[in-house]
Amino acid sequence: MLGLQLEKKRIFLDDKEEKRELEEFLNTQNIRLDENVEYTVGVFNGDELVATGSLSKNTLRSIAIKPEYQGTSLLNKVISHLISEAYQRGNTHLFIYTKPESAKSFNFLGFYEIARVNEVVLMENISDGINSYLKEISTQTVNGKNIASIVMNANPFTNGHQYLVETAARENDALHLFVVSEEASIIPFSIRYELVKKEIEYLDNVILHKGGSYMVSRATFPSYFMKDSQEVVKVYAELDLTIFKKYIIPTLNINSRYVGEEPYCEVTRTYNETMKRILEGNNMRVKIVPRLQSKRRAISASFVRELIKKDEIERIKDFVPISTYEFFRSKDAKDLIENIRSNTGRH
Amino acid sequence: MRIIKRAIAGTMESSDIQIVVEAGQGIEIELKSSVEKQFGNQIRKVIRETLEHLDIKDVKVIAVDKGALDCTIRARVLTAAYRGADIKEDYNWEVIN
Repeated sequence: MLGLQLEKKRIFLDDKEEKRELEEFLNTQNIRLDENVEYTVGVFNGDELVATGSLSKNTLRSIAIKPEYQGTSLLNKVISHLISEAYQRGNTHLFIYTKPESAKSFNFLGFYEIARVNEVVLMENISDGINSYLKEISTQTVNGKNIASIVMNANPFTNGHQYLVETAARENDALHLFVVSEEASIIPFSIRYELVKKEIEYLDNVILHKGGSYMVSRATFPSYFMKDSQEVVKVYAELDLTIFKKYIIPTLNINSRYVGEEPYCEVTRTYNETMKRILEGNNMRVKIVPRLQSKRRAISASFVRELIKKDEIERIKDFVPISTYEFFRSKDAKDLIENIRSNTGRH
Repeated sequence: MRIIKRAIAGTMESSDIQIVVEAGQGIEIELKSSVEKQFGNQIRKVIRETLEHLDIKDVKVIAVDKGALDCTIRARVLTAAYRGADIKEDYNWEVIN
């Protein structure tokens, strides 16, 4: 393969012709084109596409090398390029999904396995990445027979969340409460976290954590933030929950996870069903708590955002705790409310 | 010089080395190399010397080497270090010699 005239070029998915060529190339290798990528590079031999890879924030996606060119240094070229591009975009903690048979190649390129399910391996570019997160949360280990856990986005914190937290706190010796820290929701993490903190302060057996990169993050459960097919949602959910089972549960001696029943969102419902399947057993149980109702409807954060969107701030009073309500009436919320109004994303 | 953020230089293509630097305690070097057995110690030594020339005392270096020559290693470490220290002018190129 020496002496090839290989050229690296950015591929623009807005360009129908370029997109079609890329899709055809990926299809020949049973890799689907991820619609959620924001940067794609191709390596061409003359006019022919022979290798490609994409970026979606801090994750590397849809990587493929033409079979005849595998074993050359094309993979290194594509991955090196994507890593530099990601760094330039300010993302330095990177993740990659790959097939088990390719995990070794990526290990040679400085990626380390976090977990694997059904033919998908999740890897990260920091050798002690997950261990340093575990070290951080393990400083908050508590002793007790019944240790519960909840992972919530709280976008924003509602009476429903409050009810779920109170239930878990009451039924257990301690509760580890993780707030999703990925900045992919319309309400920034700092605000979501502060509103949760204010409302749970009186519960002295609740330990608040930052969710970090390893639970319901862009890396572990991207479907929460972006549209994916049902089949893909399931794989990601399995991955996210396998990480929880493998790392978080033993680190904090957790023996239950609480979750609100999901009447509306299919993605979250799939996630909850998968949770039961993956986590339950061996002294660990999943408790699905029926949603709290108000005005004869199950309280949900998405409905609260809908009310804010329609400029009916007063009405959210029936669905959120006082500090959330007061925040949205304050001057500090002005810009955020504007953003919520113009938001068309999932969260 | 102080490393204040994670930064990268170099590639994983043949004869190159990818250097990532980040804040650390003391000088810590994590090396992955296709010629680890033959040249691992030499590569570590070159990385360490380059950092010492720059008066960097606390840094974690993650290096993925694909058979880079010493001069390449020095250049990549230097560039990653300046990026990690967020220095954009008055470079001290002397350390390469």
